[in-house]
Amino acid sequence: MSYVLKRLGRSFLTIFVVVSASFGLIRLLPGGPLDYLRAQMIQQGGSDLSTAEINRRIAAQTNIAVDEPVYVQYIDYMTAIFRGDFGQSIWYDQSVAGVIGPAIPWTVFLTATALFLAFTVGVSLGAFMAYKEGSTFDVGSTGVGLVLNSTPGYVVALLFIAFLGYRLQLFPTGGRYASELTPGLNVPFLASVLYHGTLPILSMAIVAFGGWALSMRGNSIRVLGEDYLRVARLRGLPTRRIALRYVARNAILPMYTGLMIAIGTVFGGAVIIENIFAYPGIGFYLIQAINARDSPLMMGAFILITVAMVIGITVADLTYGWLDPRAKGGASRESY
Amino acid sequence: MPRDSQTERRGAHDPIIEVRNASVTYDLEYRDAMVLDDVSIDLRRGEILGVVGESGSGKSMLANAMMDAVEEPGITTGEIRYYPERGSEPVNILDLSDEELRSLRWEEISMVFQGALSSFNPTMTVRGHFEETLDAHDYDVEEGMERARELLEDLYLDPDRVLDSYSHELSGGMSQRALIALSLVLEPQVLLMDEPTAALDLLMQRSILSLLDDIKEKYNLSILFITHDLPLVSGLADRLAILYAFELAEVGPSEQVVRNSQHPYTRALLRAVPSLDAPLETMRPIPGSAPNPANTPNGCHYAPRCPLATDECHEETPPWFDTADDQRTACFNHDDAGDAVPLELEVVES
Ligand code: SF4
Repeated sequence: MSYVLKRLGRSFLTIFVVVSASFGLIRLLPGGPLDYLRAQMIQQGGSDLSTAEINRRIAAQTNIAVDEPVYVQYIDYMTAIFRGDFGQSIWYDQSVAGVIGPAIPWTVFLTATALFLAFTVGVSLGAFMAYKEGSTFDVGSTGVGLVLNSTPGYVVALLFIAFLGYRLQLFPTGGRYASELTPGLNVPFLASVLYHGTLPILSMAIVAFGGWALSMRGNSIRVLGEDYLRVARLRGLPTRRIALRYVARNAILPMYTGLMIAIGTVFGGAVIIENIFAYPGIGFYLIQAINARDSPLMMGAFILITVAMVIGITVADLTYGWLDPRAKGGASRESY
Repeated sequence: MPRDSQTERRGAHDPIIEVRNASVTYDLEYRDAMVLDDVSIDLRRGEILGVVGESGSGKSMLANAMMDAVEEPGITTGEIRYYPERGSEPVNILDLSDEELRSLRWEEISMVFQGALSSFNPTMTVRGHFEETLDAHDYDVEEGMERARELLEDLYLDPDRVLDSYSHELSGGMSQRALIALSLVLEPQVLLMDEPTAALDLLMQRSILSLLDDIKEKYNLSILFITHDLPLVSGLADRLAILYAFELAEVGPSEQVVRNSQHPYTRALLRAVPSLDAPLETMRPIPGSAPNPANTPNGCHYAPRCPLATDECHEETPPWFDTADDQRTACFNHDDAGDAVPLELEVVES
């Protein structure tokens, strides 16, 4: 139990440090976002705006009260963030939460679907390769897997959008769904969502499944050579049980941490892909914010992506012991 | 060429498994490798038969062949006959279908492996192994688990604790005993044990061996005990079979083989192992090394290392000689073995 508390504490500390760092970035960098904001307002409002008024507006947008001492600014900023108030977006003239919030499900739709596809296809393929170890199929798949695994996702995305999008016009080149449709649980809308999501999802899945397949292949081959597998066969266990409870379980287990980390990237895993396909998700807004020097929005997206990652890794750590009895903390049982 | 299929005669003894001219070969690309060469031996009902050989002598192959479990691409030839009851029709194990084999294994003939730790699925409790085994063979699980608990208790284990543990939570001795219990849960008649104590310390070896005798009596087992450790098994086994380089060298009652072996190899083996009774200075290593399976000598496999070897030995396979009551020896010069390879043990005692 104390391990769980310690682990949670450490994750909280990580998040705390990340948020603090984001404060430091905004507040302390010379020529940083605050100076930029101030310059912008003075330019727009001219001399009509008093310094106090400018500071008030900056505070509203960034959660940072410029005329307060640094430690007060820091405490204000931290409490606001942990209350879920990320300030106002400069570019979109909305709260940061209001911009990012609606984008979250779209990004998660892309990344989670891609991860699910890559993982299931990769694991099944890897298991089959192990079963056919040394065959032409195995050797060929290993080669393809290696090549795809070392290809960056944006290369595939650019090829897709160039050929399937512009040249052949088989798929849309941007957007989340056709603009004339009304969002809701109706077939044309859902079909359009899938249609628009196809290329982004495929670009991510195609470069990822090879890695899963290769890990699964290696793990399965190792398990297939284990003594306990031979004993299980001699004990006359049904093939199905041996395949699932013996081979699959023991081969997938070492990949579990990797899977949880991958799940941690659901918010931040599609930054470049979303921009290539002009798909308004978190990553799309993050790049927009960077281009527009919209620091509150940028930091909001940045914090969200980091927190998701920390949560993914924490969940992996906390649940691994439950999945793998050998990893249970400490010597809870005596052995002699 | 098959030799002496008739050496083990039926009659006075009641075999539960008859092995006849059993060979195991691996078809290597350039040359066949023989890892068990024309072995004929009986496992008698209710006995403990110790099979002794150096590592790589084919002793594990013999056990695997007995339940037709030689791994691909090994090929087992010859005949393995199993007599479920005294005088009943034999079952030809090598002719069984996959499904028949599946129910023969563990239900009739079971096996304990060396390295118990690696014989258990690391992500499943010991209980899970018992339950799935019972389930796979359509046994009543509840009744079977009662039997499992009793077996574990007979082996001086705490059933609740062991059943709820994962193998890595048990010590080597505990998991080896748990594996023995697992091998007996379907009430087999025959137990094949392949170096079951090799990974354990001496004390644990002795205690498991002493348990084995009780278990054998209680559950009416016939046991084949494979080991490289002649002194370890000689006190336990009723009979001993000595394997050298994939073929049998000598078979006989334990006492007789230890005291009065007629085979130069057995005698050399007796001199090469440390024993509590013999002073260390009398230990003699056997010069030379064992042949490899792809390149065995033509005549007697022991000829290259044997001090008594003659031309005949190098050319012809020695037949069996009945050297004493129930003892047989595959050696042309068995009469001279005693003088040529003296056992200091005898000198010390006389
Ligand atoms: S047959 Fe010849 S070579 Fe073989 S053990 Fe006997 S004496 Fe030695």
